[in-house]
Amino acid sequence: MGLLDGKVALITAAGGNIAGATARLFAAEGALVACLDIAGEDVAQTASDIEAAGGRAIAIPCDVSDADAVRDAVAGTVSAFGKITTVFNATAHSEARHRLADMPVEMWRSVIDVNLTGMFIVCKFTIPELQKAGGGSIVNVSSIYGKVAAPERPAYCSSKGGVRMMTRSIAVDYAEDNIRCNAILPGPIEGPRMLARNPSIAAVVERHGARLHMKRLGQSSEIARTALFLASDESSFTSGADLAVDAGYTAF
Amino acid sequence: MNRSGGNRLEGKIAFVTAAGGAIAGATARLFAAEGAAVACVDISEETVRQTAADIVAAGGRALPLVCDVTDEDAVRDAVSQTVAEFGGLTTVFNAAAYRDPQAAALDIDVATWRRTLDVNVTGMFIVIQQALPHMRNAGGGSIVNISSIYGARVARKRPAYSASKAAVRLLTQSIAIDYAEDNIRCNAILPGPIETPRLLVTNNSMDAVIARHRPHLPAGRLGQPEEIARTALFLASDASSFTTGADHFVDGGYNAL
Repeated sequence: MGLLDGKVALITAAGGNIAGATARLFAAEGALVACLDIAGEDVAQTASDIEAAGGRAIAIPCDVSDADAVRDAVAGTVSAFGKITTVFNATAHSEARHRLADMPVEMWRSVIDVNLTGMFIVCKFTIPELQKAGGGSIVNVSSIYGKVAAPERPAYCSSKGGVRMMTRSIAVDYAEDNIRCNAILPGPIEGPRMLARNPSIAAVVERHGARLHMKRLGQSSEIARTALFLASDESSFTSGADLAVDAGYTAF
Repeated sequence: MNRSGGNRLEGKIAFVTAAGGAIAGATARLFAAEGAAVACVDISEETVRQTAADIVAAGGRALPLVCDVTDEDAVRDAVSQTVAEFGGLTTVFNAAAYRDPQAAALDIDVATWRRTLDVNVTGMFIVIQQALPHMRNAGGGSIVNISSIYGARVARKRPAYSASKAAVRLLTQSIAIDYAEDNIRCNAILPGPIETPRLLVTNNSMDAVIARHRPHLPAGRLGQPEEIARTALFLASDASSFTTGADHFVDGGYNAL
């Protein structure tokens, strides 16, 4: 018996590290999982991992900033699995480091479009399905940088602050439909993307210094287990909340 | 009799204060059902014996301990008895709170203020101080402190309670930062209005409580003690292994608007 028996989850960025781990955990806990990602090959891999482990998943290549594509992906999920009860929103872009005055407007727009508007679009098209299912849970991945600033990342920080407030807005407006909506604020999580902008994991730990109180990075599985708590009925009175998963980073 | 439930706290030894009450009682029962041995601590002997008896009847392991958390010697003894009985201490759930009267600052006497702070904050400090060395010996553990939405948002005529619950949040963060290297995590839960007998001391009915809190209860209902217990289980278990120094609102959206 799993914590998500009977649930149908739509997961964005499911080809990535954090959402991939979440998709696999949700499936292991009994959910049927629609895996969305702009990278078709990666998301096919996540879905086939789930199937190989005895779960049920479909892979849907999809750009979340494209409203028509998201509408189709939602329809495809309902047609495959009959309903949607659970949403995990994790798609994110990060800009190259710039202070605000040096940032091209197009760079700003592209980050906001994926991180905030993309999440809006996914919520917009899934909420009616959650209403039809009699309720559900939406989990949005914000960031510690939606609460405290990272140097030279004005668009990323702004988008992740926006995610927190959009999460609260959904929680308040759809509580009467038995829909909960919460945000996870991960601290630095070990993953391949991190190595695109840092020479090594040790360099990341070093850079965060005194704020990384456990002296280690988080693992994608630790975000996945928090998402599982929020997606499941274990958190039935929790809505509109921020859950920092950051080893005390934002407490300090 | 075999206990029913899971194994998410298998091998853990928990010290639960206010375990004779609704919220901590539900938490003690859930922790035991998930495999923990539970020291049930309360100032009220009758209620804490009932919680421990419930756990044992369900096939779990429990030890009732009568203790005023503001009494350092009594807490030291209670912790020692827990360690002697179960062989260690890995998990603390701090929920003891004083029944402070509803009164604005001009109408509250200094003794009432002091007693509220003494139970709600200093009592928690004493429990943590006595538990920490044993948690270190165990190689780490998890502390879960009950704050309140009123530690983040103000309630009318509860100056001492509000101040105490805000203090709990920062005490929690302080413990989290100072003991992270010992693999000890510390988090706060901020419950919204929870349906407990204590609510009816100051309200005529549960419906009156809901009406009074609107629009801050967008789901139109109170929380249940078991909903706090399940959040405490998440924080006490290894499922939350990278979470420390964090506030967990369990408030049905109260703090969102």
